[in-house]
Amino acid sequence: MKIITRHWGKINPLKIDSYIRQRGYEALQKAVREMDPKSVIDEVKKSGLRGRGGAGFPTGEKWEIAAREKSPEKYFICNLDESEPGTYKDRLIAEKNPHQVIEGLLIGAYAVGAKKAYIYINGRYAEQAEVLQIALDQAREKEFVGSGILGSAADVEISIHQGAGAYICGEETALLNSIEGKRGEPRLKPLFPPVSGLFGKPTIVNNAETLANLPYIIRHGAQNYAEIGSKTSPGTKLFLLHGAVKNPGFFEAPLGIGLRELIFAKEYGGGMKSGKEFWFAQAGGASGRLVPSGKLDQVLTYDNCEYPLGSGSVLVVDKTEDIKDYLFSWADFFHRESCGKCVPCREGTYRLWEIAKRIRNGDIRERDRENVEDILWTLGNTTFCPLGKFASVAWSDAMKMFPDKIFK
Amino acid sequence: MNIQKILLRFGPKAENLLAALREIQKENGYIGEKESKQVAEYFGISEAQAYSAASFYDLLETGKPVKKIIRVCSGGVCVSERSLEIIRQVERMLHIELDNDAHPKYKLETMSCVGRCDRGPVMEIDGKIFEGVRVEMVGEILKDYI
Ligand SMILES: Cc1cc2nc3c(=O)[nH]c(=O)nc-3n(C[C@H](O)[C@H](O)[C@H](O)COP(=O)(O)O)c2cc1C
Ligand code: SF4
Repeated sequence: MKIITRHWGKINPLKIDSYIRQRGYEALQKAVREMDPKSVIDEVKKSGLRGRGGAGFPTGEKWEIAAREKSPEKYFICNLDESEPGTYKDRLIAEKNPHQVIEGLLIGAYAVGAKKAYIYINGRYAEQAEVLQIALDQAREKEFVGSGILGSAADVEISIHQGAGAYICGEETALLNSIEGKRGEPRLKPLFPPVSGLFGKPTIVNNAETLANLPYIIRHGAQNYAEIGSKTSPGTKLFLLHGAVKNPGFFEAPLGIGLRELIFAKEYGGGMKSGKEFWFAQAGGASGRLVPSGKLDQVLTYDNCEYPLGSGSVLVVDKTEDIKDYLFSWADFFHRESCGKCVPCREGTYRLWEIAKRIRNGDIRERDRENVEDILWTLGNTTFCPLGKFASVAWSDAMKMFPDKIFK
Repeated sequence: MNIQKILLRFGPKAENLLAALREIQKENGYIGEKESKQVAEYFGISEAQAYSAASFYDLLETGKPVKKIIRVCSGGVCVSERSLEIIRQVERMLHIELDNDAHPKYKLETMSCVGRCDRGPVMEIDGKIFEGVRVEMVGEILKDYI
């Protein structure tokens, strides 16, 4: 079952007609001509679609909050900031079929009553921003974007907003500050963006992959979609496999797939590279937990599972590798990307990074363990936004799983 | 570089600030205090806001770069593709040390994932990205920059 990658490789991303020939933009027509905004939201709610940005928040319910707000000005934002290490799914979505995201974004904006939409794209994705710009210009020519979409009363303008290199700007409130020309630091919640977001107006932020599901849902109906994947996390998901597997790369698979199947099945990872033995996997990029071989039966859904799937990136690490290299990798990333707004994260990630370097040099001893645990607890429990917690996740797992490989 | 001319391409609205800063970075190479002042005047914001935005992002510089910056990705996927060995190779070949400022001409840093994990390991010199870098290729890559 393919929803996201369905047309990849078959259509020319630079030609809108190529997407239209695959019945592209039919869902948009159906939405603006045959459905009122409320029935679009109901359909999305019934589909059970959950956000692909990591947390799995139910999309239709989020929209409903913004739709209820009386403000004449509302905004809709496609989050294409994607900077979780090991994650490049949204980049693929933008370059292989930009119109699918644009169509999803238009449907969303129509549903909540937003006249202005943005695509906030990672500052490193310059080529993809160009592809999206071309797609937008073509969509405008066809009257899919702009005022009076397809002769209806719906108006939606879309502009592309390029970031400038900051992982934290993927966090929705930091993203809003970034569009407003401020430092990309997170805001205090509540109020949540659907109530008070961009320029203080009701704003929906959805991940690009979330939006790419919408044309399918509107065209084929919520019922059809709800039957794909797992009951509580319906649909398919783009997974990225890396490391010691035979076939690294991207795969679209139904949600609810087991981690073991993803790594070992022929149509996905194809098992371990010859001569390599599975040690652990990290699901969800640098922010993800470490999964030992005993836990591979874990299914990948957005329910409160032990090992959240996050962005859908899975790194498979084999037994010849050195955990110290990865401790350095994680700490190096988070200390660089900490926005500096709150002390526990700014200081904690910095100290962890120093410690990571000392661990690589073999300078950290068992007696230092308590102090490291102290930092990890502080990061995990006291920071202003989830980035601080993210920084502690893999480290905490590694400390529990391989203490003798870390401390002298 | 005429900053004013660059600014005139953008409407003076808050949402255009980052785009304008990106453009100044591209054409001027950095956004220092002088440039921030012009940006602030044009957008009708405080100098502090202009400079604090400019200083926030990895892809914007607030001072004229004086050294060649060599960056290697330290993300988990690149590490699994041996990017830490690439760092050691650069250190050996240029007689520098990661994150150490001592060398007058070069600086070696790590960088965050740029979303090209399918073509890693990734390194960057003076803004140019190199993909699929192997230890054996480092000498060849550095040749053009030393
Ligand atoms: C540190 C941090 C980084 C994030 N980065 C991204 C990102 O790159 N892309 C994204 O879609 N969501 C990211 N998120 C989640 C967003 O805040 C937000 O929840 C998401 O865009 C909502 O979209 P969804 O409901 O479609 O999942 C990040 C969150 C945090 C805390
Ligand atoms: S937890 Fe880190 S990233 Fe989040 S606000 Fe605090 S310093 Fe910034």
